[in-house]
Amino acid sequence: MSAIAQKKGFGSALWDWLTTVDHKKIAILYLASGGFFFVVGGIEAMLIRIQLAVPDNSFLSAGLYNEILTMHGTTMIFLAAMPILFGYMNAVVPLQIGARDVAFPFLNSLGFWLFFFGGIFLNLSWFMGGAPDAGWTSYASLSLYSPGHGIDFYALGLQISGAGTYIAGINFLVTIINMRAPGMTYMRMPLFTWTTFVASALILFAFPPLTIGLFFLIFDRMFGANFFDHTMGGNTIIWEHLFWIFGHPEVYILILPAFGIFSEIFAIFSRKRLFGYSAMVFATVLIGFLGFMVWAHHMFTVGLGPTANAIFAVATMAIAVPTGVKIFNWLLTIWGGSIKVTTPMLYALGFIPSFVAGGVTGVMQAAAPLDYQLHDSYFIVAHFHYVIVGGVVLAILAGLHLYWPLMFNTMLSEKLGKITFWFFFLGFHATFFIQHFLGLMGMPRRVYTFIEGQGWDLFNFISSMGAILMAIGVIVLVINIVMTTVKNVPVGNDPWKDGRTLEWAIPQPVPFYNFKRTPLVRGLDTFWIEKQEGNKEGMSYAEPLSDIHMPNNSFIPFVMSLGLFIAAFGALYNGEKAWAVPVLVIGLGITLASMATRSLKDDHGYHIHKEDLMDHKGGNY
Amino acid sequence: MHLHKYEKIWMTFGIAALVVFLSIVGVSAFSHEQHTPAGGIETIDPEKVKETAPFNEPGVKQLDEDTYQATIVAMAFAYEAPELKVPVGKEVIFKLTSTDVVHSFTIDNTNVNMMVVPGQVTTKSYTFKEPGKYLILCNEYCGTGHHYMFAEIEVTEE
Repeated sequence: MSAIAQKKGFGSALWDWLTTVDHKKIAILYLASGGFFFVVGGIEAMLIRIQLAVPDNSFLSAGLYNEILTMHGTTMIFLAAMPILFGYMNAVVPLQIGARDVAFPFLNSLGFWLFFFGGIFLNLSWFMGGAPDAGWTSYASLSLYSPGHGIDFYALGLQISGAGTYIAGINFLVTIINMRAPGMTYMRMPLFTWTTFVASALILFAFPPLTIGLFFLIFDRMFGANFFDHTMGGNTIIWEHLFWIFGHPEVYILILPAFGIFSEIFAIFSRKRLFGYSAMVFATVLIGFLGFMVWAHHMFTVGLGPTANAIFAVATMAIAVPTGVKIFNWLLTIWGGSIKVTTPMLYALGFIPSFVAGGVTGVMQAAAPLDYQLHDSYFIVAHFHYVIVGGVVLAILAGLHLYWPLMFNTMLSEKLGKITFWFFFLGFHATFFIQHFLGLMGMPRRVYTFIEGQGWDLFNFISSMGAILMAIGVIVLVINIVMTTVKNVPVGNDPWKDGRTLEWAIPQPVPFYNFKRTPLVRGLDTFWIEKQEGNKEGMSYAEPLSDIHMPNNSFIPFVMSLGLFIAAFGALYNGEKAWAVPVLVIGLGITLASMATRSLKDDHGYHIHKEDLMDHKGGNY
Repeated sequence: MHLHKYEKIWMTFGIAALVVFLSIVGVSAFSHEQHTPAGGIETIDPEKVKETAPFNEPGVKQLDEDTYQATIVAMAFAYEAPELKVPVGKEVIFKLTSTDVVHSFTIDNTNVNMMVVPGQVTTKSYTFKEPGKYLILCNEYCGTGHHYMFAEIEVTEE
């Protein structure tokens, strides 16, 4: 028990991070590695904008540009946005529903390490003969033709990290269904928990098509299969279907948790109950449901015919309805509220017009005849950056400020935070708003340079200048994080003073077992109810103090993931190097052996005894 | 449930708009003559494109009084079609296939935009309304020379 309070050496601290199964520490691991990949993807974005700043630029070669373009998209979606959101889910959801941890702490750790090794594997391609270069969508005929090992890194790396994401998704589903505290009915769940729940359900159904597509690609490229090879009777269009059946729900997997974060922020800083709670829940579920029926709108020009195009066009436009419900509910939450414009609230306020703009262009593209003119132009680039940056990234930055005190018991500087916001927000609009017009003027996406004098020069230059503003914003944010961490002023629970849900009621720093006694949830915004009734402790309890069962730390998830990482090198060099097959076998052997160890060796965890709990204050306050 | 008068008006308006909108899309989709997909029905052996009609003679061909056929082969990173010249106001049927990866065939300032898929023949008919030179470009990312992949079609006065 008291071991947690002791100062540790570097070695044992490292060992603790490698073996942890605590959702709060895994959250920090997700946040840190997601943040790292976010910076990597951001640098790639800057290189793209430098190359396109002036016409006929030769800053990057065409081949290298294509690699950077591919890695920018892949990194940002799979290795930055999703892991950071998983970080918030891990940090917040168990506390929000009054649980001591997620349902499967071991799997939680496994999910993280799979993502981590997959991401590292993908990025090793830079140093091992070239990165993937077929775009983040990696359309099959092009990805089959691509020489070198770039695409192999893409397929294997995403396969490994995708398994991690899938495991994490299942874990959150089970956690939210089974681990809610007494009184936390479905219709009392905070919106962030609801959106995590729906996003996890999307992961459950969306990732298998990706897994299958990637396996086909792996077998086509490395083991001589012909699923996509049209010269051997395969079909290249199958990849597009498989990819987008995954790919469209994927953007909802990203945006729904973002909606959840903003729903929390609007309620907290308007100091009002979220307007239309049940409509918000319904809209979330509906978006998740419709998200699976629209994938072919990415393929209007493939030639599916007018009937198929019309059906998918209508389904796509229908998504605007629940999304509109959400937008109006947020506006009505603010309306008449006692508003505090903190940094997270500033992001949330900036999010509404930005995301609406992205949504409106989305409906434009949903009209199939218009899409014939917009398809693969810069208009598309502008659209998806408006929804992903204007929605997901703003939520990630807002969440960083909002949940930093929850995760680290200290607050990011509000002043620097607002500076970051203005640089990032203005830079974002400067970069991408103008790209709508570039698209309408005919500039196709994924071109490494353009010829002078087509009327694109000035707009591309402005776009690149905007990207610099965004970079300045991120640099200020990094300075903010470093300064905050060095100062490390503890702030205690409920640092925003207006927290409404259980995660703000728990003492800081959060004890490793979370809740000494499982709380009783007495309504939506339970912490707010307790505060209104003058309950100093902020919680009612559902049970007397008793022993707490805790899981043991484990190094097995790390080893299991490492095995797949090693095996991937074997698969990559199959038929090329003599050592390929042995390495593949050894890697899979390591994974299977660690799985067997996990299954055969009983690990019952341990108990924290009642007597010890009584002494343990859990937190500084 | 009590609803405010304006709320009723707005909801009626919203639902009516939705119904009208969906009906128009639905009717126009199903009453349209062409139910078949634009691509994927007609297949071609991608290794024998050059020997298979009509791709053995790419270019513009007059089919009858008012119809022309433009046969074009797309490949990394060019369109094989000698001298694309069609008259204004006549129906032009574009027939395309690819010999390697997925390309696209987009004519600037028109509604012609289709993916060109290897192993399949993609068809689109279009009638040019204005004479002049139109830019054809590939917008489906196809490799390092993607940005060089373009051609031109000339629409002549009769």
